[in-house]
Amino acid sequence: MGGRGDPPRQGRAARDPPRWGIPRDGGLAVKFLPFVLRNLARNKLRSLLTASAIALAIALVCILRTMPAGMDAFLSSIASNTRISTHNEAGMVYQMPYSYLQKVRAVPGVVAAISWQWFGGAVDASRGVEFPNFAVDPEDFGRVYEDWNVSQQALDDFRKYRDAAIVGRGTLEKKGWKLGDVITLQSTLFGLELSFRIVGEVPNPRAVQLYFQREYLVQAFAALGTPLDSTGMIWSRIDDPERVGPVMRQIDEMFRNGEAETTSETEKSFFGNFFGSLKGIVTVIMIVAGIVTLCIVFIAANTASMSVRERVGEIAILKAIGFRSRTIFTTLLAEAVLLSTVAGAAGALISLALTSLLRSSLVSTGPQLGPLTGFVVTDAILVQAIFIAFFIGILSGWLPALGASRRSVAQTLREVF
Amino acid sequence: MALPISYSWRSLIARGTRTTFTVLVIALVVIATTLFWSLIASLKRTLVSSGSPENLVVMRKGATNDGSSQLTLESLQAIRFFEGIARDADGNPLISPELVVQPFFATTDGGRENVLVRGVEPMALRVHDEVVIAEGRMFTPSSGETVVGRGVSRRYKGASLGDELKFGRGTWKVVGILEAGGSSFESEVWVDARELANDAKRTLPYSGVRLRVAPGADMDALVRRIGDDPRYALEATREIDYYESLSSSANTLYVIVIGLAVLAGVGAVFGATNTMYAAVQSRTAEIGTLRALGFSRGSILLAFLSESVMMALFAFALGAIGASLLGRSISWLLGGIAFGAATFTTNVIQLHVAAGDLLMPLALSLLIGVFGGLAPAARAARMRPVDALRKA
Repeated sequence: MGGRGDPPRQGRAARDPPRWGIPRDGGLAVKFLPFVLRNLARNKLRSLLTASAIALAIALVCILRTMPAGMDAFLSSIASNTRISTHNEAGMVYQMPYSYLQKVRAVPGVVAAISWQWFGGAVDASRGVEFPNFAVDPEDFGRVYEDWNVSQQALDDFRKYRDAAIVGRGTLEKKGWKLGDVITLQSTLFGLELSFRIVGEVPNPRAVQLYFQREYLVQAFAALGTPLDSTGMIWSRIDDPERVGPVMRQIDEMFRNGEAETTSETEKSFFGNFFGSLKGIVTVIMIVAGIVTLCIVFIAANTASMSVRERVGEIAILKAIGFRSRTIFTTLLAEAVLLSTVAGAAGALISLALTSLLRSSLVSTGPQLGPLTGFVVTDAILVQAIFIAFFIGILSGWLPALGASRRSVAQTLREVF
Repeated sequence: MALPISYSWRSLIARGTRTTFTVLVIALVVIATTLFWSLIASLKRTLVSSGSPENLVVMRKGATNDGSSQLTLESLQAIRFFEGIARDADGNPLISPELVVQPFFATTDGGRENVLVRGVEPMALRVHDEVVIAEGRMFTPSSGETVVGRGVSRRYKGASLGDELKFGRGTWKVVGILEAGGSSFESEVWVDARELANDAKRTLPYSGVRLRVAPGADMDALVRRIGDDPRYALEATREIDYYESLSSSANTLYVIVIGLAVLAGVGAVFGATNTMYAAVQSRTAEIGTLRALGFSRGSILLAFLSESVMMALFAFALGAIGASLLGRSISWLLGGIAFGAATFTTNVIQLHVAAGDLLMPLALSLLIGVFGGLAPAARAARMRPVDALRKA
């Protein structure tokens, strides 16, 4: 046991153990690190089993946390607060006249606006809609979605070719499509089949939508003999974040008592509401994550109490030869904290590996769980996991360590020997 | 000679703290997996229990659900005369043309969700014979009245019997509460089809047709007959298959839950192994004595293994009770758990832990008990009596 404390005392500690009992508080745990490590190594199997259990549980907590975190990340990476959605007050499936688009564009403060028409296209109708797809107005697309960084080339081609489509990177990766590919979607809504040429991508792995020219859909409708003169949503960009509120009120006021009354809201609020129905599942996930965390506390506490109990005699001797209660308490606590924190860090790494496996193996989860099944372990989740593990170490080690350090020496020695 | 089971039992009790910790760990693993599993199973049950085996869903070809289908009046007229459709006493075919829209409903906590509103005609209650008006009465057509599902009435603003419910463009008076054995019809709102078409400004008043096949008629022939007619581009599906397909999104979730159970289970195995090793270690002398008395290796192995399994089973019982209580409280606190199914409409699910949902956690606990006890029990069995006694 080589002391690793302040330089002047180095080496002396081993020859003069009682001096350890007069510690300077901060360095205590570090000074006794070799002692703590030896204790952990004493029952290697037990330390290994405990560490593995904690690591697995922490990995699980990380994976569970990706689900609600995916939702937050989705909202903050996709949603802007200067982009607003205007849709029928009654619901997403209620349409509005297409002429509303021109009226919205004329509202002062609106920089650009496009309409969205749900197409409900499926690659394979029997598997249903795998990613959302919409007919939009290509002229203003780039200006409404300035922040999406769609390349100028893609935007130009999107305007130029009737059958052009811009697809989110998430879907391109999932389906293995490349720019230039021609794909066919069957509409589950209109009984139409349209082919699209992919001319560009939305360079964000969380972006999954496909956009194509509204005119293409209008022509397909005309061929069926039914005009398309309505739309589901209008998205506009507002010049100034300060003006967003007044502009939204002005738009809704404009259509009050009209053919379709509207509700305008920011993109953040729109997607927040859209995925609002997942709140209950998120709650259950959070409860389960909490239960698993509690599990780790018990596993760690069990180990801490077992190792303390076995060492009762030894601890009494340490005290008898002059070690202070506080020293004993600190080293025992450090043992629990070290084990749990290292295991927690390992668990965080395991979660990274497992989520990448999950991402590659889950081909289709359907659009309805959307951002919940992204399975991306963010830095924040990793840091939190290691902190959780650290605190679990303290929580689980505290009582056994305190008990052992407070036990009466005479009593213990009498019992043990 | 085998050691009596009470030996294992008493040993467990003798070291209370250690057993308690491990039991709690396993119980928590059971609670976590049971909660998740029953959530998905409840969703599946809700969808799969919907629909009747004698009913067909007729939609436009290519439509994957009610909400995305549209039906022309001509095709509806044509279906009426197909053979094999059941008829009532007056000779009317049991055909229920329906319009489905998904307007926003305000939740009691200030959010909004898409709820499936089904526009129906009086015939609907005869075709969907599992749906009953549990309270109040059926709506009167063209009078702005509605009947709402049990799940809807609990969850949304203004959806209780006698309330004024706002959705779509209008306000509707709730005159009845629907029940359908917990199936997804209880997450729906029914109104008069014509009124709903006006409200939604739909030019085509129907999105699909549900019909009852006549007893003894060849259902497959009728399905083919409807699907093969080139004039209308229709597709018929058995109603139970239709809901089954809606529930398929839950299958991915099962994979996730099983992964979760495996991960948590392996962790719990490690925890149990620890406890059992400690048990073996602290009873070295005892094991030596037992061996010296003539108990065989096999009986020692069995005794320690049963100790571990017993611990796991006890934990399972505790966990099952915990999960069931927790599930109930969550359901109650949230007013049901909303689940956006494939149609973007919301199914309101009551998180209920059914007996069948406990099979997976039970198997998991047994495995934890066996695998957690195996290595320590083997170590105990391998001990030579002389060594064991000397060490002690």
